[in-house]
Amino acid sequence: MVLVSAVRDYINRMLQDISGMKVLILDSHTVSIVSVAYSQSELLQKEVFLVELVDSISMSKEPMSHLKAVYFLRPTSENIQQMRRQLSSPRFGEYHLFFSNLLKDTQIHILADSDEHEIVQQLQEFYADFVALDAYHFSLNIPSNHLYMLPVVVDPPSLQRFCDRVVDGLAAVFLALKRRPMIRYQRTSDIAKRIAQETAKLMYQQESGLFDFRRMEVAPLLLVIDRRDDPVTPLLNQWTYQAMVHELIGIQDNKVDLRNVGKVPKDQQEVVLSSEQDAFFKANMYENFGDIGMNIKQMVDEFQQVTKSNQNIQTIEDMAKFVDNYPEYRKMHGNVSKHVALITEMSKIVEERKLMLVSETEQELACNGGQGAAFEAVTNLLNDESVSDIDRLRLVMLYALRYEKESPVQLMQLFNKLASRSAKYKPGLVQFLLKQAGVDKRTGDLYGNRDLLNIARNMARGLKGVENVYTQHQPLLSQTMESIIKGRVRDVDYPFVGNHFQQGRPQDVVIFIVGGTTYEEARSVALLNATNPGIRFILGGSAVLNSRRFLKDLEEAQRIARSTANVQKLST
Amino acid sequence: MATRNRTTIFRKYRDALKSVRVSSPSMPSTSGSGGPVIEMSSLLQSKHPYAPLSTDDSDSHARNALTVGLPPAWVDVSEEVSANIQRAKVKMAELMKAHAKALMPSFGDGRDDQRLIEVLTHEITDLMRKSEKRLQNLSASGLSEDSNVRKNVQRSLATDLQKLSVEFRKKQSTYLKRLQQQKEGQDGVDLEMNLNGEKSRLEDDEFSDIVWFVSTVYKFLIALNLGFSEHQMAKLKKSEHFTAEREREIRQVVESVNELAQIMKDLSVLVIDQGTIVDRIDYNIQTVAASVEEGYKQLQKAERSQKQGAMVTCATVLVIMCCVMLVLLILKSIFF
Repeated sequence: MVLVSAVRDYINRMLQDISGMKVLILDSHTVSIVSVAYSQSELLQKEVFLVELVDSISMSKEPMSHLKAVYFLRPTSENIQQMRRQLSSPRFGEYHLFFSNLLKDTQIHILADSDEHEIVQQLQEFYADFVALDAYHFSLNIPSNHLYMLPVVVDPPSLQRFCDRVVDGLAAVFLALKRRPMIRYQRTSDIAKRIAQETAKLMYQQESGLFDFRRMEVAPLLLVIDRRDDPVTPLLNQWTYQAMVHELIGIQDNKVDLRNVGKVPKDQQEVVLSSEQDAFFKANMYENFGDIGMNIKQMVDEFQQVTKSNQNIQTIEDMAKFVDNYPEYRKMHGNVSKHVALITEMSKIVEERKLMLVSETEQELACNGGQGAAFEAVTNLLNDESVSDIDRLRLVMLYALRYEKESPVQLMQLFNKLASRSAKYKPGLVQFLLKQAGVDKRTGDLYGNRDLLNIARNMARGLKGVENVYTQHQPLLSQTMESIIKGRVRDVDYPFVGNHFQQGRPQDVVIFIVGGTTYEEARSVALLNATNPGIRFILGGSAVLNSRRFLKDLEEAQRIARSTANVQKLST
Repeated sequence: MATRNRTTIFRKYRDALKSVRVSSPSMPSTSGSGGPVIEMSSLLQSKHPYAPLSTDDSDSHARNALTVGLPPAWVDVSEEVSANIQRAKVKMAELMKAHAKALMPSFGDGRDDQRLIEVLTHEITDLMRKSEKRLQNLSASGLSEDSNVRKNVQRSLATDLQKLSVEFRKKQSTYLKRLQQQKEGQDGVDLEMNLNGEKSRLEDDEFSDIVWFVSTVYKFLIALNLGFSEHQMAKLKKSEHFTAEREREIRQVVESVNELAQIMKDLSVLVIDQGTIVDRIDYNIQTVAASVEEGYKQLQKAERSQKQGAMVTCATVLVIMCCVMLVLLILKSIFF
């Protein structure tokens, strides 16, 4: 439980030394950071009796000197200004300030200047500046995630903010792990290069003292790659539990909002899907849809047995036993109905959108060759009335990515068909995707057809046959991880920052995907970590993508790119 | 898990700035309210010996008026409840010892032990009931931050109390079980001795059912007034008496178990289920924000409807008055 436990330790250390009743004050970012790792009842145990957002705490003026304020904020200038105002008219008995990242000297100056009542007890940097979704998966939850696709000239300040946030997040991850890594990046991506270089500058020049930890035999590795190197994974339908929930319903900070899908009882409108607290989810989050169905049935059966034994109350002893077990029973009841509700909703969606059919073609496009058959299948699905617009778009995109060079004529036919079939389709989006993530832009061997070895491997796999048609796709990331394990990452494709070189197999590897990760990739990281005890991969991204989010980012980037192009045309 | 403590550098800056501020008090400070606040705090400092509520006197900082204040009254309640819980915990430990002692075979009749257990059980149940009652007082209506704090304090105390009562009940029921076992054993052994005094005791568990059956038959026989020797009767009486006492004890324990179950039920409303959405920190913040907004909307609506209500009644009164006047006018024109 690497990342989650690091965040938990930070929070514990924050709260344990301050005795008495406390109020915890967070900002909109740290709320997510704290929420995924810590629970309300644990906070209550630490005598934290109020949790508030930093901007809403300043609305009330009522003094609460019996409470001690514990602030945990990102060191943004807005937060510093808020702090300045709040320190000048204090409401709480004591102020303990914790910031989630490096404070600038000027910021400390401003805080010191506003603390006229000398009410601040401590000022510390606790580097929990990432949302630890799972033990080996973190996200930075950057809201304007589309920025990475735009060239630098379009919006330099926003892009700078984007980069700064990523560099901050990466610095925090390594500070929390107490490591200083060697840094590599994907050569073809400008943004990956920029982030890698800025991170290196921070770790080796600006704050080299802070990052000077005990040397490891082989330094850990940070690999910064670009989402556009593998645009296929976020476009596919998913069939493993966690990934599927995110694809079909949507997970935000390990929470699922069921209000918009179907009818659900009031206490199930929002549910938590956390491997930390839910043993069933932990055991099944990487299982495929069919197996989960079986496991859920088993769980329901067990639950029924418990219910039966509870109904059978005759003696006082039975009654006492029932009351003793009641909280556990209630918990089990909540858990069972949560998973049943999720599975029911998802099977409804699968039925409605004919996802079995669609996904088969998708997987075929992503994994196997056969252009003629693929064209036919995609055309048929485009003609099918019950296939939804988003699925049509994705099919054409997958086809375009795969057969970009081979069959431009057929591709044009598909574009036209798509435009006539889907009313909402914005013209040129597929072309924009090809411009962003086409075959000329990519570094990795996405379809395994570039060198002979990969082709041979693919053929061997084809001969062996696949277990499950729907989950045969392996993200490009698992190939990358394998070559890291074997020490075969090419310096030409993934150069180092500074004069480092690969000395051997690193024990800790953080792979950061600019543009966002997917739960499919998180799954392959977790599975690989479980089977390779000597090496530990951690996956991070600027957001967690599903196809909806990826397409939204793409549309947004296209819109901005187009409008700036128009402006430039006008100005010339 | 690296951290960096910036407190020292912060203090250094703060002290430096303070000396600047003190040396030139006329200089306008950055936060507009700077001037008067300094005055106020210096005033407070001069009064310091009389300030009764400064909790940490060692702290020679100039504290301003806001930090010296009485905590609200509910803090006392919460402290009382937590003290009660502490006391109950101590009593539980004592009770455990007493239980162990009472279950040990001894030569005396163990009446002192029984009384001690009774008293302790009673006290603990009492403490819990009292705490639970006080806890209900903590709840507050309204949507202010203070009421939130109160709600959370209540929740946390309720969780503690629930844990304690579960533990207590578990102890009680194990004791009860052991006692019942002993009682059965005792009955069996006594009667067995009565029936076949010369024979050696049967230790086997398998026989206990038979023994119990025999004992029932035996009692039945007494009821039929069949003849027995004086000695046997006396012994039987004694055993009967003993059984009655044990029965009374068991009843008592059962009663307290039931009482606790009630407390438990009341508490479970307050306690957070772990792993559910209610246990999420961000969810709680959202709901608070949402409920504040909702409350504000309700208020606005109420205000609007109030205004409307006044206007509507005013209009109706006027219309009615008009009608009455019209009728009067018509009547006047007809009759005069």
